[in-house]
Amino acid sequence: MRAPRENLFHLIEPLLPHVEHPSRYLNHEWGACEEQDGPFHLCMVYADVYEVGQPNLGVAILYNNVNAREGMSCERCYLPWKDMSALMRERGVPLLSLEGAAPLASFDAIGFTLAHELVATNVLETLDLAGIALTSAERDVDDPIILAGGPSAWNCEPLAPVFDAVLLGDGEESIVEVCACIRDARAEGLSRADLLRRLALVPGTYVPSLYDVVVDEGTTRWGRAVPRAGEDVPEVVLKRCVNDFAATPAVAQRIVPYMGIVQDRLSLEVLRGCARGCRFCQAGMTYRPVRERPAEQVVSCGVEGLLASGHDEISLTSLSTTDHSQCEAILNGMNVALEGRGIRVSIPSQRLDSFGVDMAAAVAGGKRGGLTFAPEAGSQRLRDVINKNVTEEDLERAARNAFAAGWRRMKLYFMIGLPTETDEDVVGIARMAERVLEIGREVVGRGPKSGVSVSISVAVLVPKPYTPFQWVGQLRPDEVRRRQQLLLHEVRDRAIRVSYHDADVSLVEGALSKMGRAGFSLVRAAWERGCRFDAWTSEFDFRAWEEAARSCGLDLEEVACEEFPLTAALPWGHTSPGVSMGYLQREWRRAVEGVTTPDCTRESCTGCGVCPALGVHNVIQGVRS
Amino acid sequence: MSDPRPQPFSVRPQDLPTKAELPRLRVAYVKDSRLAYLGHLDLISTVERCIRRAGLPFSVGNGFARRMRIQFSSALPVGASSCCEYFDLRLTKRMDPQEALGRLEASTPRAIAPYRAAYVGSRLPALEAWLNRVDWSVGLGPACPADELFDAIREIARRGEVRYLRGEKDKVVDLTRTLCGYSVGEDETGGLSVGVDTLCGAGVSLRPQVLLDAAFALMGRPAPDAPRVRRHRQVHEEDGRIVEPFCGSDAIATSSLF
Repeated sequence: MRAPRENLFHLIEPLLPHVEHPSRYLNHEWGACEEQDGPFHLCMVYADVYEVGQPNLGVAILYNNVNAREGMSCERCYLPWKDMSALMRERGVPLLSLEGAAPLASFDAIGFTLAHELVATNVLETLDLAGIALTSAERDVDDPIILAGGPSAWNCEPLAPVFDAVLLGDGEESIVEVCACIRDARAEGLSRADLLRRLALVPGTYVPSLYDVVVDEGTTRWGRAVPRAGEDVPEVVLKRCVNDFAATPAVAQRIVPYMGIVQDRLSLEVLRGCARGCRFCQAGMTYRPVRERPAEQVVSCGVEGLLASGHDEISLTSLSTTDHSQCEAILNGMNVALEGRGIRVSIPSQRLDSFGVDMAAAVAGGKRGGLTFAPEAGSQRLRDVINKNVTEEDLERAARNAFAAGWRRMKLYFMIGLPTETDEDVVGIARMAERVLEIGREVVGRGPKSGVSVSISVAVLVPKPYTPFQWVGQLRPDEVRRRQQLLLHEVRDRAIRVSYHDADVSLVEGALSKMGRAGFSLVRAAWERGCRFDAWTSEFDFRAWEEAARSCGLDLEEVACEEFPLTAALPWGHTSPGVSMGYLQREWRRAVEGVTTPDCTRESCTGCGVCPALGVHNVIQGVRS
Repeated sequence: MSDPRPQPFSVRPQDLPTKAELPRLRVAYVKDSRLAYLGHLDLISTVERCIRRAGLPFSVGNGFARRMRIQFSSALPVGASSCCEYFDLRLTKRMDPQEALGRLEASTPRAIAPYRAAYVGSRLPALEAWLNRVDWSVGLGPACPADELFDAIREIARRGEVRYLRGEKDKVVDLTRTLCGYSVGEDETGGLSVGVDTLCGAGVSLRPQVLLDAAFALMGRPAPDAPRVRRHRQVHEEDGRIVEPFCGSDAIATSSLF
């Protein structure tokens, strides 16, 4: 039975004095859509706390698109922190949406954004708190349809039993089509099974319950999903792709939060997709093709967005903003238009080879805080393996430009556990950081007052589906720790700060990235053992995950570190971003040989297969140099 | 060193006007309903965004962070509402306070709506230090007989100090310097209404909840679950003389909403 739709804020209000950060639960922010008349009601859920989920651009885009449709309403919901959820359970208060304070169980549909793999237990926690059955098979005809999408949907199999449907690729158009489909199917009185069959007809929509998992000699131990006998569904569901990206609203964030959130600035997506071809990067493969917005649109919409929201910072977001063919024009246009208003223009991280002198001057306006570059590997050989296509000279030039333009703090991102990595490569990270520090001291001066510092952040490679490294086993945790210690030992200058990812967290992330549908038992067992907010260092409980794995007859290390044969049918092979398996196999072979592959927005087509598969092409506004 | 780069601001910092030369617009606003749960830092950023949305010609400091020149009255406890909050905003040019108030109203959530604005003396002390007299009302359920609570507060006041734990830190409040007056009344439903008048200054202040917690502890009763705390007056007091926040201002703009 569907829960009745009613405003239950009066049940939450008495709890507010007893929880941390009550502003997480207030709603009524500036720009929030207060009119939620429906009659079709969707609730978008980011299964983490408000301050983590609110900046998510995907949720903002879908929220606007659905609310713009006649007869459809979209609200938001974030997972309450542990103190609030404990109180809610104690007092029998169900999980509510923000806008209408309506029970989640009263909605027609609920859409989860899968931002990363570690959100898995939070998805179950959300449903449980909402009083909704955890699996699709357990739900009644009237229960909300549970949807999912987002960057981690490319292997959604460990959560496949939870979701009624998964939307692949750009959701701008498909979310509206899916909502309309659910609305119409309900109006026709279809059974839940028939409604799901109807949903599978919407392009880019994967309905897990219509696929069986088959394990045979051509698969990994996790098997592959094939259409269930008698079901007329595609063998491979291709993602959706917005062709005319420039026709979509440039500023999706209209809601101005009351509380400080993790990215507390206005975001403007200047381009979508990246064709650099970094071989570890899932987003680089799954968001293709590259589509740029024109500079004039970015500048005018950015200025308008700032006026409407009141933010004092605007972030030009994308997978690689400095690759935009009109990046300098955008930055200069922004700085001129915003002069004297105390507004900062920022870019998430810069590519070393496209960060020139003029760009250094234009980024961040008058404020020079820290600047982030991502060389990813400590040696040229290894950078060629991962197809990073930046050189030591690029780094030196970028660092020199940045220090000369006023920056004092440099942050460098690296990874360890990359295929073919040796100790020399790890030591190379330390040498690179020292070289950048030395350049800073040359340019700015020596001595403690110069303020020059370098911090290096070292992640562990988690091989992700639909990358050329998808067949690789993750580096074993003991070896990860040894290499981390080697790096720490090699960094001798106090002005270099080293931080690194926890090997155990990466191991769980790796296991969740690799597993097939049978992995759901692990996720459920971990949740039953209290695992929540696994992406939070303070909350991650590796022992609970290990216990959960044991209870399912699994070994996390074996799962994450298992290599898959290049020819095996993979657990995620039935959902496709358009990149061909042949291209990924070829890229893997080139990686092993240390051969790089160029960027198709600068040179000729590299044959990834996206354009012919999806009927799309790169849209570049100017000329990329 | 490389060539000098173009500076993002066309005026050199040393040529910018000093803070004291800039018009100082004082704005009174409420903090009500669910926004009572907004913490002070979140309130500051929210108000700053309202000002930017309103398009007021606010002045920006010359420091590294280029912050808006704005000062707020003292922080409210999270959960407390108020009908008398203030901020002082330095503008780059004088504008009609009625227009400024109108623009602010249009760009501010109703629960923190501004209702009065006027220019005040540029060289007055900062709001937080100047508004040293703060009066509160606290609504409680029918927690105990009014007389019993009044006697308990009187006993606490006679002792001259309250000790309490804030987080893991022991705190002491000197009531001889902070507590000016108190009252306990009963409403028609039997609920208690407590008035607490306080003085605050450098590093000294009394939150009504602290006094009430001490009083209930003295009575051996549990403190009420969720008291409704409201700040209803903030003024300057000097030698027993009360100075209202807009005293001496001409052309006080008032909202039509209040």
